[in-house]
Amino acid sequence: MRLLQNIAKVYLRFLSRRVFARISVHWFDSNSPERLSLSSFLGIYLSMVTKISIQNLRKIYDTPERRVHALEGVNLNIEDGEFICLVGLSGCGKTTLLNMLAGFVEITAGTITMDGRPLTQDFDKGVVFQEYALFPWRTARQNVEYGLEIRNVPEEERTRIAQDYLRLVRLEEFADFFPHNLSGGMRQRVAVARAMAFDPQILLMDEPFGALDAQTREELQELTVDVWQKTKKTILYVTHNLSEAVYLGNRIVVFVPNPGRIREIVRVDLPRPRDDLAPEFIKLQRHVNDLIRDF
Amino acid sequence: MQTTEAASVPPSLDEKKKEVRSPIWVKLRPIYPFIVILAIWQVAAMQAQGNQGRLFPTVDAIMFRAWELVTDPLFRALAENPNLDLMGYFWKLLESPILLHTLNTAWRLPFSFFIAAVVGTIVGILMGRFAFWESFFVPLLSVLLPIPAIAWTPIVVIWSGIGDQTVIVITAFASFLPIAMAVWTGVKTVNPVWIRAAQSMNADKMTIFRTVVLPGSLPMILSGMRIGLARAWRAGVGAEAFAGIRWGLSAGIFDAQEYLDIAFMMVALGILGLFGFVLEKVLFQPIESRTVIRWGMMEAMGAQDKKV
Ligand SMILES: Nc1ncnc2c1ncn2[C@@H]1O[C@H](COP(=O)(O)OP(=O)(O)OP(=O)(O)O)[C@@H](O)[C@H]1O
Ligand SMILES: [Mg+2]
Repeated sequence: MRLLQNIAKVYLRFLSRRVFARISVHWFDSNSPERLSLSSFLGIYLSMVTKISIQNLRKIYDTPERRVHALEGVNLNIEDGEFICLVGLSGCGKTTLLNMLAGFVEITAGTITMDGRPLTQDFDKGVVFQEYALFPWRTARQNVEYGLEIRNVPEEERTRIAQDYLRLVRLEEFADFFPHNLSGGMRQRVAVARAMAFDPQILLMDEPFGALDAQTREELQELTVDVWQKTKKTILYVTHNLSEAVYLGNRIVVFVPNPGRIREIVRVDLPRPRDDLAPEFIKLQRHVNDLIRDF
Repeated sequence: MQTTEAASVPPSLDEKKKEVRSPIWVKLRPIYPFIVILAIWQVAAMQAQGNQGRLFPTVDAIMFRAWELVTDPLFRALAENPNLDLMGYFWKLLESPILLHTLNTAWRLPFSFFIAAVVGTIVGILMGRFAFWESFFVPLLSVLLPIPAIAWTPIVVIWSGIGDQTVIVITAFASFLPIAMAVWTGVKTVNPVWIRAAQSMNADKMTIFRTVVLPGSLPMILSGMRIGLARAWRAGVGAEAFAGIRWGLSAGIFDAQEYLDIAFMMVALGILGLFGFVLEKVLFQPIESRTVIRWGMMEAMGAQDKKV
């Protein structure tokens, strides 16, 4: 059923975006762009379901003092609407990967494609940072509206969208507060709302709740799943907390360091909402833990 | 969950106002050290009256002199011509030397400061944004900054003569330097996460500058302006005296030295002090409390709570 839906969705998108030329050039150089053959559709289907494709990615930081081989041979295909968690010891390149996806740092070698095209700087991404990255001079609402202003959304609509997303993160009443008057957890919720309101194609979250206390973190994890289920965004989520990874992800990408590379990709098929005390949950968590540590 | 939220609700604005409203004696508390000093002064001056009279005037004598300085021309005019109209009185009042001194200082200083603020902000932004201007200005400013602007006075006098323009040049120059440096620092040290956040939403460079870098560096810019104003004040007052102009509070003070008119000097000094205080109160505090303090950005900068 899900597959059929997907196919229908993709087919519509396929037509509406008039992708013949682009895709066929990309995938089947010799094909005539006018004809929609089954094989080309299949190719396109695959390219469409695969939202992001990362191939042989390498990152080397060259600093005057030393050379850091941060990432090597990273291959990862991310489907549209997937929730991917990235875990691994400190320094194994998780932030680096996220930063490359966001366009903050250059790629040394390899490719990242999105919807079959090489990644450009200006695709719509939402980023939630580990540090508080709200603009202190804007109220919660104005922070959420920022991306919409950049996109020249008319003011009324902006306000309405901001209101919707503030409601989604349950902060309606705090819309006119400045960030320094909000608690840490509330600030990160505003940050999530800001990233979502921009209606990004993918959401990149780098240990967004790492600095929060356990209760608040749990609450925000639930909220994140909730938001994800409602909006069906593709999410890449970095965390140190394995329980969090198993709770949130469809798949968990386990990194190991020196140089940073993917050790294994663990699929999590537990039904949601997940119970972090269930034996399968704990078993999975232990499995991931073993993967991270001994290599 | 409900309780967590309730606990983190900040007090509403009304409650805040109530807290801030304090009884009158609390508000007037900063005045009492002055009263103590004046009382000591008064006692000492009365002791010294016998031999030094005019050289160490009592507080009441100073106050009387202040009154006299302001109203003397008016009374003299009244004596000469009892049926002056209202405007006539006004013009006579303006003839009082202390007012002339004050007014001259009062327009020159803010005017020079304004020029310095505009030019300093522009130069600081250029330095912060373009490596070329940074490499051009930073060495220059670093060398110029430690030179007391007053030391330029003789040169500027020779070039531009005695007059307002000389004082304005010195004053503006003195306050331009720290302002440019502060704006540069502010622009350079804006939290990079804010910039990345804006970048991630595809804001272009100009937009990032306008919507992130400028507000983000406002605390630094404001503190630069403050230092700039203090510098302008010092340099301006010094330049007035050394440039040999006639009107201006410190020019007046140096004139009064010739006549050993201590009371005049004290009155002029008092006005100078009041000036700085008023500028702080009407210029900086309102801007700050409406912006960086309201945004909680001063705490981040480690500024202490200012009471006065
Ligand atoms: N800008 C940089 N210049 C040089 N080296 C860097 C830079 N950023 C990261 N590195 C190096 O690259 C490696 C990977 O860093 P990265 O921040 O991606 O790790 P991480 O997996 O996010 O770690 P953590 O879990 O601690 O956040 C580290 O060895 C780090 O020192
Ligand atoms: Mg990291």
